[in-house]
Amino acid sequence: MSEIGRRFTARRVNRKEGQRRAQESHSCCSALLVASFGKVTIVQGMASLKRLETEFPILDPDFQSFCALRGIFTVQDFLIRDLQSLVADAEQQPSSERFMQAINQVLYVIDGLHQPWLNGVDLMEDAQKNKHVLSTGCEGMDFLLRGGLRRGQVTELAGPSSSGKTQFCLLTASTVAYKHMGGVIYIDTGNSFSAKRIARFLNQISCPASEEMQPRVLQEVMNSILCHSVYDIFSMFDVLHCLESKLKYQMCRGDNDERLIIIDSISSLITPILGSSGSQGRALMVSAMSLLKKLAHEYNLAVLVTNHTVGGDGGIPKPALGESWKTLPHVRLLLSRDCGSNTYQVSLLKHPSIASGKAAKFIIND
Amino acid sequence: MEVGRLPISAALKGKLVSAGYTSLSLLSSLSPSHLARDLNISENEALDILNHAPHDGRIDTSGGHHIISGAQTAWDMLHEEELLTRITTSSVDIDNILGGGISCREVTEIGGVPGIGKTQLGIQLAVNVQLPVHCGGLGGKAIYIDTEGSFMVERVLQIAEACWDDMLANNAISQNVHAGQVGMQPKDFLENILYFRVCSYTEQIALINYLDKFISEHRDVKIVVVDSITFHFRQDFEDMALRTRLLSGMALKLMKLAKKFCLAVVLLNQVTTKYAEGSFHLTLALGDSWSHACTNRIILYWNGNERYAYIDKSPSLRSASAPYAVTARGIRNNVSNCKRIKLM
Repeated sequence: MSEIGRRFTARRVNRKEGQRRAQESHSCCSALLVASFGKVTIVQGMASLKRLETEFPILDPDFQSFCALRGIFTVQDFLIRDLQSLVADAEQQPSSERFMQAINQVLYVIDGLHQPWLNGVDLMEDAQKNKHVLSTGCEGMDFLLRGGLRRGQVTELAGPSSSGKTQFCLLTASTVAYKHMGGVIYIDTGNSFSAKRIARFLNQISCPASEEMQPRVLQEVMNSILCHSVYDIFSMFDVLHCLESKLKYQMCRGDNDERLIIIDSISSLITPILGSSGSQGRALMVSAMSLLKKLAHEYNLAVLVTNHTVGGDGGIPKPALGESWKTLPHVRLLLSRDCGSNTYQVSLLKHPSIASGKAAKFIIND
Repeated sequence: MEVGRLPISAALKGKLVSAGYTSLSLLSSLSPSHLARDLNISENEALDILNHAPHDGRIDTSGGHHIISGAQTAWDMLHEEELLTRITTSSVDIDNILGGGISCREVTEIGGVPGIGKTQLGIQLAVNVQLPVHCGGLGGKAIYIDTEGSFMVERVLQIAEACWDDMLANNAISQNVHAGQVGMQPKDFLENILYFRVCSYTEQIALINYLDKFISEHRDVKIVVVDSITFHFRQDFEDMALRTRLLSGMALKLMKLAKKFCLAVVLLNQVTTKYAEGSFHLTLALGDSWSHACTNRIILYWNGNERYAYIDKSPSLRSASAPYAVTARGIRNNVSNCKRIKLM
């Protein structure tokens, strides 16, 4: 009992408050659990006690029916219900020792599900070793962002139609593939990925004297840019989950070379589901961003997403997707184009370490 | 990995995803009552979902995948793009700024003031797509979706006859005897245009949903022209949020059609006035959220007495404008004595 008591004081939830909050947030809780646990452990997190029995025989049918009587079927229920009353009940049962061991076992499983703790020094080391900046190929943008897109962060680029978002995405993809020798995953929702434009950008980057790049080199660089067309948000989830298992496998083998994920544009996937009755649309938007942030952090990728704009007060365009979207990306940029020219203006709306409101101009050549 | 492909409603899909069932293998060993309890749905619905999930539960063997299934590398796409033929617009100037014509696998939006020739251009493309490949077409059929009722069959016949004359003249000059293709009569052009008339926005959305099945049965369709895409959404829409959702859903479906069946989608749009920066100016209808729904955008406008086409948005073409003219034979190059008729 003392062992469990110690665990309880560490994990104590005020009974009434916890139950009320648990009931309110039960539907969001699942989404949060999906977001914060890894994919492999999703199975365990949602696992019913029945499924865990195959791995841990201590969770025998008696224990399962004991829990079922109290409305506990899965590991998630274990987290939500009041553990103290469960332990008190278990002590009064005839096979109390076995039940205590079973409870301990489930708590042990739960312990294994959260990420290991990091302190400031670990984070600093990780930042210096892994979270470098990727140059975007665009001097004005690199100057504004102090180097470029940072790995481990999600950057949003918003702008009205035909303001250069796709051009910037293609330029960044070419630069990362060429200069950083990294893999780029380009998720395209509007059939705007143009391989010819990528080839032109690569020729510009590598041979400014307008010579042609060697075909073999061009082929190798272009083979590291993968383009995937998705037309609804569930396909995007499929692609991201596929990517996650592939990255996990590569990480084990130690040859991870993906550097950048570009989603052009994420707003066309979210707009059809946002705002209808119920909050399913917003929940999907939040879980998509959580998944992207997790991929960015764990596998040291930079993520670039584009958003369109809607009319705001006084006709000034503001980024779409509403208020809850504003908190999700790490870095937010607003792009505009001088009418009919190749000069673009970008301003910084949000950044974790640079003051917002700064602006810069750049030119993208044909 | 395939929850998104189950034929169930979007609300159920959302519940499955937020409960953690992102792949079918997780569903494979569940009982309906368990699933019903997990998702807070009725047991019948849970049974429905499980029936749709394939029982062999294809487990994705992770590792060894160098490419995510379905992705293409940029190098492969470069070669594909070079092989794609384009549909000519019959005006050499416009073809030049478009890099050869309207391209497949892309959604092109064409907008302009009334009377500039949008419907004429739509009809011209519907006729041109039927030309054989060496004449600038794709040898395929056309689907014409008419929302305004501006499709005049007599005009189509006129344009088809002019097109046929040109094709004969070209064949005579280049001495290319393709006996089978030259045997096309002008009336054959009419036969290959599949015409749909929609009278409300619900019909329009239903038709676009149906097009997927229709085109898989009529594989030789190479262009879908919608004239005009915005007409039914501009009047009497009380719920603007619903309109935005419907439009963006429709845009995604059209994109998917274009990519999946490798055809061109041409959307004709009207203009409206917008108040911005202290003055009124003309923009395409349906607002900012729709303006992101196309891959390319061409704006048709008057410059003095001449018609011009301007590329407003394109991922790979430079911004340029070109003059053109609307003649009795269809869209042609601008000859400088073509004047706009001013109604006095």
